[in-house]
Amino acid sequence: MYSVSLRGVEKRYPGGGTEPVIALDDVDFAVEPGAFVAVVGPSGSGKSTLLNVLGLLDDPTAGERRLDGTDVTSLSVRERTAARKESIGFVFQDFHLLPTLTAVENVTLPTAFDPGDTDERAATLLDRFGLGDRLNHEPTELSGGQKQRVAIARSLINEPAVLLADEPTGNLDTETGESILAEFERVKQEGVAVIAVTHDPIVESFADRVVELRDGVLSPGADEEAPDPSVRGGP
Amino acid sequence: MTLGAWRSSVAMAARNLRRNRVRTVLAVLGVAIGVFAVATLGVFGNVLALGADDAIGDIGTQVVLSPNADAGVESLTDADVTAIRRAVGEPAVVPLRSDGAIVSGATDQQFATVYGVEQPGLAFTAADGALPERHRNGAIVGASVAESLGLAVGDRVEVAGAQTRVVAVLAESQTFSPVAPDDAVFLPKSAFTGTGYDQVLVVADSGTTARAAAESIRKSVNAREERVDVFELAAIVDEINEFFDLLGTFLLGLGGISLVVAGVSILNVMLMSTVERRQEIGVMRAVGVTRRDVLRVLLAEAGLIGAIGAVVGTALTVVVVAGLVVSTPAVDTEVVLDPSNGTYLALALTFGVGVGLVSGAYPAWKAANERPVEALRS
Repeated sequence: MYSVSLRGVEKRYPGGGTEPVIALDDVDFAVEPGAFVAVVGPSGSGKSTLLNVLGLLDDPTAGERRLDGTDVTSLSVRERTAARKESIGFVFQDFHLLPTLTAVENVTLPTAFDPGDTDERAATLLDRFGLGDRLNHEPTELSGGQKQRVAIARSLINEPAVLLADEPTGNLDTETGESILAEFERVKQEGVAVIAVTHDPIVESFADRVVELRDGVLSPGADEEAPDPSVRGGP
Repeated sequence: MTLGAWRSSVAMAARNLRRNRVRTVLAVLGVAIGVFAVATLGVFGNVLALGADDAIGDIGTQVVLSPNADAGVESLTDADVTAIRRAVGEPAVVPLRSDGAIVSGATDQQFATVYGVEQPGLAFTAADGALPERHRNGAIVGASVAESLGLAVGDRVEVAGAQTRVVAVLAESQTFSPVAPDDAVFLPKSAFTGTGYDQVLVVADSGTTARAAAESIRKSVNAREERVDVFELAAIVDEINEFFDLLGTFLLGLGGISLVVAGVSILNVMLMSTVERRQEIGVMRAVGVTRRDVLRVLLAEAGLIGAIGAVVGTALTVVVVAGLVVSTPAVDTEVVLDPSNGTYLALALTFGVGVGLVSGAYPAWKAANERPVEALRS
């Protein structure tokens, strides 16, 4: 069973003219638990759209989407929100931490309004990412790498099946970026499928597999020796 | 569960408000001024009405009946009085005979109305001496007469040439009434010859009872023939009260305008802050925070602005009203401490919070319902 999979997914936006913009064109894509897949491609190739569709932030126009074996192609807003909280972690290029919250509070944000206390788990996660002494610091008191670690801890608070990263190293220097990627390695070892959209060649070097998006069409990366059975390009 | 969610929301809202202190303080100030305006104007209007009520006293609690000369009725008979008693029920009925006479004290003399009354205790109160249950001898002197003639209980007094003693001096009348007891002397009924009465006083405990009594006299005693003239002030009191109600509403309306302005300022602040925090809200939604919880946080922010502003405005009102009482001796402390003024404070407080919630509702709803994809893109 795949952590997340797309089959024949299309995403069209109504364009300015009569022709709709095709952001994703018959994409078949699947990631198994514990795999780290990098998605590369030029700007405007549909990478963000792919990530949004995978992350249940956007619905595909056509095709089938499965999350942890469940069909999640068309869910209501409420169900999508619940599914995101349940199974998906997000890591963004700009970290996107809430400036008013401390590190621990940022990590517990997804569960902040639910009964039960997740502070302990948040502290454990932060400790694991070497931020044990920064628990009550606000984002402004943290470095870029530390912020991204807090963001990763946040994405893991609900033990997700999939971690989606949008240019996770984009705002970090090479060394910090590599340390973040090393964290991804550890995350995937816990059976989380990690999908990173990136321009950064270092990310590609850490990934188990690289796929390329070009004009909404997905194909195995150039340096891929043989097509992975789980990844099928467009017909 | 909801309680916990609210607690988290309010905590998060409080921090968000602390981010842009100046803006928050200004919005709070707006509400405070609005609440202050509503509360002070409300309380002022109420104090005015209560003060007037106090001054008018029980003007509306008496009904004065007199024979209807137009219908040829010269005086009211015992049968009339019985009919009146039957008609009014509860309120006391005090028949009066009246005449004018020279009243002389030890040194001075003056002209005064002289009433013959049997049960003065039903309609009047004594400042000095005691009113007899049945007035058999002596004179009861009105406050003004007693003052100008220097009369006190036990003094000799001459009424229309007849010597008698003062048995009681009446308290100054709070009532405006054609009977004008201040300028009158009350003698026993037996001092008058004849059988009829010139006036019948109906004394009720409230304006409502008085009005009902007057109504029932018109219906029963005057049913066949207009035997009595009914003079009642309840209707005038009603009009006065209506005027003060109108004044109160008008003042509240004035205050309400400033509260609306405060609402617009909250709306503005919340719209600005949700636009600025668009991405943050998008992130919250992306990581699985529900629309309802986002809405709750934003409503809590607007509600907090409203609540803090309302508390400040109400406190300010209390201070100002207290200052008014201290600096203006004419304002009766009792009137200001009347519980009904508390209603205006509570009303203003509620409106303050309400304005916060109502003004925050649209920005909160808008922000909570934005698609996270769009919010994150910016």
